Amino acid sequence: MIQENKVLSARFGTPDSCSIETYRRDGGYQTYVETLRSRQPDDIIDEVKRSGLRGRGGAGVSPGMTWSFVPKQTDKPKYLCVNGDESEPGTFKDRQILEFDPHALLEGVGISCFAFGASTCYVYLRCEFAEGIRAVQKAIKEAYEAGFFGKDIAGTGFDLDCYLHIGAGAYICGEETSLLNSIEGVRPYPRNKPPFPAVEGLWGCPTVINNVETITNIPHILKNGAEWHAKLGHADDPGVRLWCVSGHVNKPGVYEFETGFKLQDLIDGPCGGMRDGRKLKAVIPGGSSSKVLLPDEVARVTMDTPGIRALGSSLGSAGIMVFDDRTCMVDAILNLMKFYAHESCGQCTPCREGTPWVVKILQRFVDGRGRPQDMELLLDIAANMEGRTVCALADGACWPLTSIVQKFRHEFEAMIPSAKTSSGRTATAAPTGAA
Amino acid sequence: MITLTINGKTVEVEDGTTILQAAEAHGMKVPYYCYHPDIGIDGNCRMCLVEVNGNTDKLTISCKQACGEGMDVQTESPAVKKARKGVLEFYLINHPLDCTICDEAGQCPLQDYAYKHGPGDSRFVEEKRKGPKKVEFSDKVIFDSERCILCTRCTRYFENVRDSRPIGVSDMGGKCTITLGPNGPIEDPYQLNIIDICPVGALTSLDARFNQRVWFMDFAKTICPGCSKGCNIEAAAYQGQLKRFEPRRNPDVNKSWMCDDGRLSYDRYNLTDRVRSAHVAGEPAELGVALDKVNELVGDGAGVAVLASTKNTCEDLLALRTWAQAHGVTQLWHGAETWAGDDFLKQPDATPNTAGAQGLGFEPVPDDVPALRGLVVAGDVPVPPALLGTIDFLVHQAPTAGELGPAAMVLLPGRTPLEKRGTFVNHEGRRQQVRPAVDPGPGVPEDWTLWRDLAGETARADWPSVRHVIGAVDRALGADKVASAS
Ligand SMILES: Cc1cc2nc3c(=O)[nH]c(=O)nc-3n(C[C@H](O)[C@H](O)[C@H](O)COP(=O)(O)O)c2cc1C
Ligand code: SF4
Ligand code: SF4
Ligand code: SF4
Repeated sequence: MIQENKVLSARFGTPDSCSIETYRRDGGYQTYVETLRSRQPDDIIDEVKRSGLRGRGGAGVSPGMTWSFVPKQTDKPKYLCVNGDESEPGTFKDRQILEFDPHALLEGVGISCFAFGASTCYVYLRCEFAEGIRAVQKAIKEAYEAGFFGKDIAGTGFDLDCYLHIGAGAYICGEETSLLNSIEGVRPYPRNKPPFPAVEGLWGCPTVINNVETITNIPHILKNGAEWHAKLGHADDPGVRLWCVSGHVNKPGVYEFETGFKLQDLIDGPCGGMRDGRKLKAVIPGGSSSKVLLPDEVARVTMDTPGIRALGSSLGSAGIMVFDDRTCMVDAILNLMKFYAHESCGQCTPCREGTPWVVKILQRFVDGRGRPQDMELLLDIAANMEGRTVCALADGACWPLTSIVQKFRHEFEAMIPSAKTSSGRTATAAPTGAA
Repeated sequence: MITLTINGKTVEVEDGTTILQAAEAHGMKVPYYCYHPDIGIDGNCRMCLVEVNGNTDKLTISCKQACGEGMDVQTESPAVKKARKGVLEFYLINHPLDCTICDEAGQCPLQDYAYKHGPGDSRFVEEKRKGPKKVEFSDKVIFDSERCILCTRCTRYFENVRDSRPIGVSDMGGKCTITLGPNGPIEDPYQLNIIDICPVGALTSLDARFNQRVWFMDFAKTICPGCSKGCNIEAAAYQGQLKRFEPRRNPDVNKSWMCDDGRLSYDRYNLTDRVRSAHVAGEPAELGVALDKVNELVGDGAGVAVLASTKNTCEDLLALRTWAQAHGVTQLWHGAETWAGDDFLKQPDATPNTAGAQGLGFEPVPDDVPALRGLVVAGDVPVPPALLGTIDFLVHQAPTAGELGPAAMVLLPGRTPLEKRGTFVNHEGRRQQVRPAVDPGPGVPEDWTLWRDLAGETARADWPSVRHVIGAVDRALGADKVASAS
């Protein structure tokens, strides 16, 4: 059986959970003040490293590691940018934190900035998060009034400013360097790395970009200790995560579990099984930019970085998309690729030209004009994009594409005119998608 | 110094050298579109990807990556070749491939690289993307979005070189296009430079567009005569007619740029009414007769002054000086032509060789001009009226007769700066080679030969060809300023 462990979501159901009164009543900001008074920055970074926490934005990098790359001796200001652009298809967890527990995020902001010496934090939210924007705006104001932001915080001499920055809702602005350009007010093209933002980020100054959920974990780690965190879930990828389940299950939603559970158990248990009693066809487990899993893989996989890597996929942003047997996988990947083609910033050639080309080919399949050589062509186009671009958007587009072409080749073949499916049906009778 | 291997060859480079620079310096050219030495690095085109330390999963952009000690770089490995071919395929699938009517054809890196590194056939069976064509960015520049490869050289030229943003990228993904900004047409007096740096025919000059195919033209490496900056240019001509001026890169003078006025000035040198023979008292005369007449008029040189245009080369001026001094003419003046300079390239002195003239002893016309008996005007130059007031005779040498022509006792033919060979010295004292782009046709000898012949036997013996005068100029100007090699 699989048990929820509510750490990040513990207060989501609390009445008036967004107000600073309820947050402080529940012990909020105590860890922040104690940390400022009694701990050294290096010691905090070390604690976070030892906790084993991996970033929750997709790439899974240890925030403690990232912080330690920030130069200690510098005349430049340092910045923290909290990434709340949350646009990965199938991902809707940061939104819960923003809407239900914004002060928890802000407490994490305070501790994190103190740890690597940032004097300013920008919380970057997409404009569609109207509720979250209101909640965070109010929370920042309350935190200033309570003296948790501003000058000489809690009498420790630590100064910190925190601003809300609202983006226009482009997926690419969630890519960390694009986000920096968006804040700077220029066209949000991702930057070539190196230099890495920790050394040369916002306005050329050392900058850390962390996901909303990553930062929200920090107060808990400081409060309960690295060892507590390291023991949650899988030893090599410990902690709790907010898992976003969407698709053809009876109870989609956001669930908080420790890592290391079996994906099948989540679908069968808390998610109430497949909708309408249908059969499982596929799962994309880590937001749309991860490789698809087949039912037998779903039955085996454990939800932690080593477990999912063993099957060649990734946990990404923990967006679990479940597809039942009525889904046309060609249609599904067409839908996703339209997203990537639409959201490609257009800066670099392989992604700008490759993603729309893939869409046109997939559209031909759906229109009944697929050709036998197209599967190889799709894979080769992907090979010419993956690892050849400025940012990882193109990689993220290639992973679901190549895995679906490889694992569901028969569905593509069935859509080629005059080809017969194994069951003898002609292409025109092929499933046309359920979602 | 850093030691690394490129394609197995060990090379040593300065700290901070990029892989692309290092490879190119050692004869291993890496193709690129978005990088430009005078605009900077961007890393968007992905043509310059190379393999570093065997990592084929992620290739490295060589334009940006600095060489590292012990690096193992491959610029022609299977992974690199495949990626390059892939990038070219991505460029070509939506490109209109209208090379037959494209002005860039023949000098187009997309054509060149497609030929050298491209896929050779097309796997694209979809409909090509359509986009705006013939967009007027100004009264000089036309944009074709379908040909654009979005290298952003044009927008970065304005941002990085001109500190302005008249154009930018709009929209996203495949719909990206270069767009005019909210302030309307481009007004920059250096805007035509974007046409040269555009690697394809997406930006064309209204002036040069559809005028002549590049492979029919002859190009001469010379110097813009428009002002004392001395921008290095290629002057293109077709059947004796100048068709274009284009900047030629010189990092020390004009980088890759020139001003629009200079660029568009080429037609000024396509003359229709030129002086094709010597004239004495308004009647055509044998050149020898006319020259004898000049020496006769000048006599012992007393009361005679020379006014030389600073569009003359140093060679013209040295020969002129040699003649003048041999005939007792001591008042050697140069003309002055000015326009509004600016803080980029344009100099207030609107002639190319004032510094050369001064180096050879020509002085500005003095404020109070002494009474003159005669005046020799060498070249096409405005003559202060005071000089003409008292004279008995005027000798005028110029490509066209102009206003002075009818008043000249002796009129001699002359060449335009685009027909000369020799040396200009720019405003900062840099000596630069001028080479003829067009031939003036019959009856117009090289200017310096007229003065040499006037000077007499010794000069004729000393200077059988222009090379000898160029050497003499170098000695006359002294060795302190080194000539620019280009
Ligand atoms: C195309 C693209 C979109 C991304 N969108 C987001 C996003 O919406 N939110 C986010 O936290 N990270 C996003 N990321 C990942 C960020 O670049 C970065 O890795 C992350 O914010 C780092 O935070 P973390 O270390 O706390 O996970 C995106 C990456 C790419 C390539
Ligand atoms: S990979 Fe795509 S989204 Fe990323 S920089 Fe290149 S074009 Fe933009
Ligand atoms: S117009 Fe030319 S220079 Fe400008 S982005 Fe397009 S291809 Fe590059
Ligand atoms: S700046 Fe002067 S030399 Fe340069 S192109 Fe313009 S006129 Fe010619």
